[in-house]
Amino acid sequence: MPREAEPSNNAKAFLLQALRENVRLDGRAFDEFRQIDLSFGDEYGVATARLGKTKVMVRVSSEVVKASADRKFDGVFTISTELSPIASPAFEVGRQDQAEVLLSRILEKTIRRSGALDTESLCIIAGQKCFHVRADVHVLDHDGSLVDASCLALVAALMHYRRPDFEVRGEEVQIFDPREREPIKLSMQHQPFCVTFGYYEDGSVMLLDSTLLEEQCREGEVMISMNRFGEICQIAKYSGEPVDAMSVLNCMNVALEKVKVFDKLVKAKLEEDEKRRDVGGLMAELSAENAR
Amino acid sequence: MPLDTSTYILAHLRLDGRRWNELRRLQAQMSTQAAADGSSYFEMGNTKIICTVAGPQEQKSGGGGRSQQDKAKIEVEVNFAGFSGMDRKKRARSDKRTSEMQHTIASAFESTLLTHLFPHSTITLNLHILSQDGSLLAACLNAATLALVDAGIPMTDYISATTVATTASYADKEEEADPLLDLNGLEEQELPFLTIASSGGEDRVCSLVLETKVHMARLEPMISVGLDGCSQIRGILDGVIRAHGRKVLEGKVG
Amino acid sequence: MSATILLPGEELPSDSLPKTKKGTLTLGPGLRHIPPTSITATTSGSISVDNKKSAVWLENTNGRYQPSTGDLVIAQVHHGSTDTYHCALTPQTPFALLGQLAFEGASKKSRPHLLSGDLVYARVSRAVKGEDVELEGFNSATGKSEGMGQLKGGMVFEVSPAFARRLMMGSKGGVKILEGVGEKIRFEVAVGRNGRVWVDSGNVRTTAAIGRLLTSSDENAWDVEEQEKALKKALKDMS
Repeated sequence: MPREAEPSNNAKAFLLQALRENVRLDGRAFDEFRQIDLSFGDEYGVATARLGKTKVMVRVSSEVVKASADRKFDGVFTISTELSPIASPAFEVGRQDQAEVLLSRILEKTIRRSGALDTESLCIIAGQKCFHVRADVHVLDHDGSLVDASCLALVAALMHYRRPDFEVRGEEVQIFDPREREPIKLSMQHQPFCVTFGYYEDGSVMLLDSTLLEEQCREGEVMISMNRFGEICQIAKYSGEPVDAMSVLNCMNVALEKVKVFDKLVKAKLEEDEKRRDVGGLMAELSAENAR
Repeated sequence: MPLDTSTYILAHLRLDGRRWNELRRLQAQMSTQAAADGSSYFEMGNTKIICTVAGPQEQKSGGGGRSQQDKAKIEVEVNFAGFSGMDRKKRARSDKRTSEMQHTIASAFESTLLTHLFPHSTITLNLHILSQDGSLLAACLNAATLALVDAGIPMTDYISATTVATTASYADKEEEADPLLDLNGLEEQELPFLTIASSGGEDRVCSLVLETKVHMARLEPMISVGLDGCSQIRGILDGVIRAHGRKVLEGKVG
Repeated sequence: MSATILLPGEELPSDSLPKTKKGTLTLGPGLRHIPPTSITATTSGSISVDNKKSAVWLENTNGRYQPSTGDLVIAQVHHGSTDTYHCALTPQTPFALLGQLAFEGASKKSRPHLLSGDLVYARVSRAVKGEDVELEGFNSATGKSEGMGQLKGGMVFEVSPAFARRLMMGSKGGVKILEGVGEKIRFEVAVGRNGRVWVDSGNVRTTAAIGRLLTSSDENAWDVEEQEKALKKALKDMS
């Protein structure tokens, strides 16, 4: 009967004492992230993000479906999240956990509601056919900062994914196999990232990228999603002790800086991946944007 | 349904004739349901809510969670009446939005209620939404505060909540951007807004939920107007509670 | 150490049997005797041989902790009932029972009062399949604590069960960190077979640093040289 590993009293007391002395258990600065690692799979749309021991894999896929009647000019975009016992003994199969609801809501608000993915570009024939892009978020290992890691992996996977090309001839639609025509990138309007702040000691200590133990001991958290232009997509401070309005506003500036770092990292990794795929420099010739 | 917000610039009056920092009419009653341990009826404009509290009562066994035995557990259930919205729509029980709202309310009160006084017990909040017209989460939090006071559950402070919007979502329309306090349903659909709840003194943010895209430069005026609104609402809640207390002392209500 | 690795189902090569003439052969975990003469592996692992005791067993680094009698563990009290404490060894194992009187000098009137979340250094006194695991906070044969009992203060770090075993083996385990730090800094340590190490040096900074050395040595599988390098650097930072 696995259950959530609760921190011992010794660990709690030690952690708080350490924070009072400006020490984090893993030796990081308060606003320092753990080692961020981002890798892509062989197929388009598979991305794995690691934040220290936390590991999240996202897979994006698409299929052609009938367009919904009330949104004729839009494609469909869904995000599904799954927390399975593989990530932590606290998660059970089948039961919808509070953590899962929150994770999927935050991702939904950050990426779907903020219009990061241009759903209009997924429309094939208005009212009849459109693409259904589906992102599956799999948490493989949970050591804190689940939301931040999931968001990073999700955005990276969406930017990495290519959907099949198509051609409309009157009423006929031909979807091209990736072998016939080079697939096309999704059109993203902006790239939002989520940064979670955990606070202790009445809001005087703000930690970024908390480990699981730090998450279990914190007084409250503020989750902020924004893009590199400083547009906030979502703020959620559900729980925890009340905190000064000023420190919430300070978080925004810190978050903006971190988001810019994320943004650069994702772009650099994508470029690296593109170079790896572009054997012999043939990609430019295959591009769907070329004249035929 | 696009909303015509162009007239706002001319007269600086909102659709329902309010100014930017004006609250809607706020009405509240306590002890409305005799059967519940605590109850309240709360109106914020056309948003109407009944809240009932059951507890603290013995924890239902078999939940499996032995973890939080030293504190009372707070459970929240939000029910939308079929006739509460514009169109009669049935919400699924496992709706994630509702479940997020329940979580927000439960965890907001976890920090203000003195739950450690009631080990092995649960406090259940039932929120019935009779009519929706914007600021739903804020109204729920306010209604719950009143009902919990009526139930006599010790707390450190009231939670008072409101919503704030901004009229421009981009930084280039600097001079036109006004924060608007206490939104109705139409404004909520059109403008970027946040829900803010305060407790434990001025300038203390208890919950903060923002779901629409807005530039970070707009945030500071929104939060400060929101906190100001919270303290106004706090005053009104305080008035309602004191008036009710006086009635109880005079023996006019049970 | 030239380790031969066996996979489940493979036969133990006869040249890796203990080189003793007398005594019966003892098979340790992971090996099974199939009459008349073959010995096969039931798990994967590297062959370890003790010539003195005429024993052979398989050593592996995977898997969760499974309690067996005599193990020293760091248990965390989950809740107490009338005469026992229910303790968690790992999040995966069922609760182990620790008698409220199973401490040095404990009687009905004076006994340690443990709260939920407290840590105890204890010995597994009974581990039978299908029954609750029992712990004791003292040596019940002598009545002495022998270092066991409640752990106060300090910090507990999570390592793999195999690393914890290596730590307990002392110099043979190939982990030099505790000895190395001990030459410079005074601290207390308790190693539990369930993959927990408790460290207290009285100073937050050094305790955290020792913990970091242990966990990163475990995760990155440092050999002795790498350990010494990291140790030197850490000691320099501490002083």
